[in-house]
Amino acid sequence: MATAVSRHVASARRASRVVQIVAIGLALFWSLAPLYWMLATSFKTELEAARLAPTPWPHAFTSENYRGLFTGELPFLAFFLNTLITCLATAIVAVIIATPAAYALSRARFRLRGTIAYAMLVFRMLPLVVLLAPLYLLLLHAKLLDTHTGLVVGFVTFGLPFAVWMLKSFIDAVPIEIEEAARVDGYTRYQIVRKVVVPLILPGLLTTATFVFMEAWNNLIYPLTFVTTLDKQTLPAALVLTFTGQFKTDWGGMMAAATLTTLPLMIAFFAVQRSMVRGLTSGAVAGA
Amino acid sequence: MAKISLRGVEKRYDGALVLRDCNLEIADREFMVLVGPSGSGKTTLLRIIAGLEHVSAGDVLFDGARVNDVDVGDRDIAMVFQNYGLYPHMSVYDNMAFGLRRRKLAPSDIDARVRRTARMLDIEPLLGRRPRQLSGGQRQRVALGRAIVRDPAVFLLDEPLSNLDAHLRVQMRAEILKVHRAVTATAVYVTHDQVEALTMGDRIVVMNHGRIHQVGTPGELYDAPVDRFVASFIGTPQMGFVDCRIERDGERIALATQAARIVASDTHRHALAAIDATGVTVGIRPECVTLASENEARDADVAVRGTVQAVEMLGAEQYVHVATDAGALTARVPRSRSVKVDEAVTFVASARDVHLFDRETGRALR
Repeated sequence: MATAVSRHVASARRASRVVQIVAIGLALFWSLAPLYWMLATSFKTELEAARLAPTPWPHAFTSENYRGLFTGELPFLAFFLNTLITCLATAIVAVIIATPAAYALSRARFRLRGTIAYAMLVFRMLPLVVLLAPLYLLLLHAKLLDTHTGLVVGFVTFGLPFAVWMLKSFIDAVPIEIEEAARVDGYTRYQIVRKVVVPLILPGLLTTATFVFMEAWNNLIYPLTFVTTLDKQTLPAALVLTFTGQFKTDWGGMMAAATLTTLPLMIAFFAVQRSMVRGLTSGAVAGA
Repeated sequence: MAKISLRGVEKRYDGALVLRDCNLEIADREFMVLVGPSGSGKTTLLRIIAGLEHVSAGDVLFDGARVNDVDVGDRDIAMVFQNYGLYPHMSVYDNMAFGLRRRKLAPSDIDARVRRTARMLDIEPLLGRRPRQLSGGQRQRVALGRAIVRDPAVFLLDEPLSNLDAHLRVQMRAEILKVHRAVTATAVYVTHDQVEALTMGDRIVVMNHGRIHQVGTPGELYDAPVDRFVASFIGTPQMGFVDCRIERDGERIALATQAARIVASDTHRHALAAIDATGVTVGIRPECVTLASENEARDADVAVRGTVQAVEMLGAEQYVHVATDAGALTARVPRSRSVKVDEAVTFVASARDVHLFDRETGRALR
């Protein structure tokens, strides 16, 4: 009897394991298939990439598409540098503004504190396009259209609420006694933030900056709207503007550019993934 | 060095009164202990002295000068926190030097002070380590070192031993007292542990529900508690209480329940004559009662009959917990005396070892 029950439990456990593996396999396939297709197409010849019956892997392996990015007519390096500079500036500016804001929301006691915090979260829920028209007008009047500064303003505006919330969760986790000890030691609030809080939340600052950086890097609609000169364009917008034509699309070149566009994001994500999860989930359980 | 005065201090949080009318004088160089159960307001009072909390009413004075609006950093205090509050990203050396650097002392002076303090606390080999690389006891020493290295006028300690094991706690108690004697600062020490309070304090403040119940030396608190709360809070095991009727027969006053008979002492007779209550609570400390036979009990000032509820063996002696018809008593008896649970026993005590408390207000009757 006992053997039959344990056999039944073992087979149920096996079945549940199979279901788990199948589910994970499906999710992985769903996520990785486009990446694989991008990578595979980037190594195909122009003819093979445009074939109506697509080949699952490159039959004639070529690195011409990558070489073409740097030797062709398109200023790919300039696109890359534009993206890198605007996204880095966005990350730095967002973190500099978000840190004192997050500190105030975490530590200060003032009326409407909760309302302001949740208003920021609501702001974050708005779709990107909702801000498009007001931001366009703002940049127009500030004479910042078609400039990298204007683009940074747009990126920061959208990334800031999340940065504040994420940093707030890191600051919440810093024991208040440490700050009080610094107050007893004679330091002012500003000095405490600079000398005690910021060094303690450094992983959080890097994580938040990376997240804002990634968001800005992925942003397609703002550069397309705010930047009109092709030489000032960022990579995602440049991909759309340059590789797709009225009569022909250079799929191989586009996928090579897309691969190079994705690479820094993946590196950035893997560098901070642990602390990113910690930042997003801190406070979810007691003692976290 | 500083004399601290609290005058009518009150504290409210969102309208709730957590400290009410606290008046206290702490003498220069005194080691004052604030003791009370959780939520009694002792930590809030300490934080008010530190300047980490503002008073809702009343005044805090250092050497007669009002410091209500003086920022915490300008009060010349040092504090040891319950969870140490060490800077995790700094070495032990930097933790100790951090406050000195703020005061713009010369690097050579800072170095000399840090090393002198580290030597005194036996933490010199740890100066290069980070707090996470230290044991609980070592962290506690570093927290103490960080506080005393600045040579403050007031030394505040908020339950600094609560995270240590029992053995280390005893060791650190002596260490803190040694440090206090060496630094000659006024010290205010918060604890919920009355043993810690009795062994460390020059004087003790007993608090409950945001109110100061009594301020006195350990001996005063133990021998003459002002109310039933102080009587029950100070002393281990706690004082036993029995509710008695007051039987007045002209000049003669006796206290009785079905199971107890107590002849009031002269002092108590005067106190009882001054009130017109019909009942009173009698308190007797465990070490003041002895087990006796019925014959011995007949001639005793105080005799109480009851049933043994539990026996706690403590090696050389045992605590016998007895239930009576009007309350519970505990007796400290020698191991040699055999006592069993459910056994009917009789306790005797001397009338002068009895404490009387008003049943309504809990105030001691003297």
